[in-house]
Amino acid sequence: MLRYQENNELHRDFHGTTNMTIEYIARKYGADALKEILRRTGREVYRSIREKLAKGDASELLEHLNWFYFREGAPYQLTVSADEIKMEVFECPAHKHLKTLGLPVSEYNCLQTSEVNAGMCENTPWESSVEILGPGHCVQTFRRKGEVEK
Amino acid sequence: MIPSDHFVRFYNEVFKFLDGRDGLADFYCEISRHQDFHCLELFRSRGLQGVYEYYCTIRKEENCDMDIQLNGHELTLRMNVCPSLSKAMDNDAGLCRKYCLHCPGWVQPVYARAGLFEIYDVGDLEQPRCTEWIYDDREAAREKYRALAKTISPERLFISFEP
Repeated sequence: MLRYQENNELHRDFHGTTNMTIEYIARKYGADALKEILRRTGREVYRSIREKLAKGDASELLEHLNWFYFREGAPYQLTVSADEIKMEVFECPAHKHLKTLGLPVSEYNCLQTSEVNAGMCENTPWESSVEILGPGHCVQTFRRKGEVEK
Repeated sequence: MIPSDHFVRFYNEVFKFLDGRDGLADFYCEISRHQDFHCLELFRSRGLQGVYEYYCTIRKEENCDMDIQLNGHELTLRMNVCPSLSKAMDNDAGLCRKYCLHCPGWVQPVYARAGLFEIYDVGDLEQPRCTEWIYDDREAAREKYRALAKTISPERLFISFEP
């Protein structure tokens, strides 16, 4: 069950403010500072997901990925096996909305995915990675540590 | 992707980081410049009517429990339940005590650039309620501020003009 239930209207312009904030922090304080904030967001805001992962339970992570990308209208494919979760996002809703607004995507924008995911996995038997395949197109992977690449 | 639904919880972490580096005021200016993109032209060209229209959209998209009253030279925004602070509080990472201050921090420079005058009562920083009064007449704003300052503590009141 999701810790944060969200079922009301969407305010997609928040993707613009996220992008602006990411650019500001990276430019003024450096990419490492930005990563620190995003990691903490993953670790603490999504504590419920992290604590379940620590116990070997990926159910809330799956629900989170499925619900929020569906809710934002993203085309995606979520593939789940016992030890690996792969989320391919074909058109990132954040990038899509920035394009609609005519705002440039920060070069640091995708750190929000890689670092928040990494924060969710901290001190758990899981690790995450993100492969960028093109603008707005990525594969997010969560894998149990020690599993051999298939 | 941080879902747009969860943006405020990320923002809350940013405020904690910046507060520890005395960086909040500069960031508010940056937010304000960004928000010019969304609302400055509307506020400039349509005045209080533009502010009214902007907040009608915000009320819907951000799921605000907010009363909006337009009355001559005065527009009142009374936030009964702020969804932004509510989410920042309903948060396993804990609330940044100064969370609410970003609101007057970004909006007042936008009003100033639009030629409008605002008084912001942030209220209790851990209660999701606040009130804004916006004017297109400086003297009306000053008069309201003088009346409010008699009963509301100065730490709660933010103004976008010389009193």
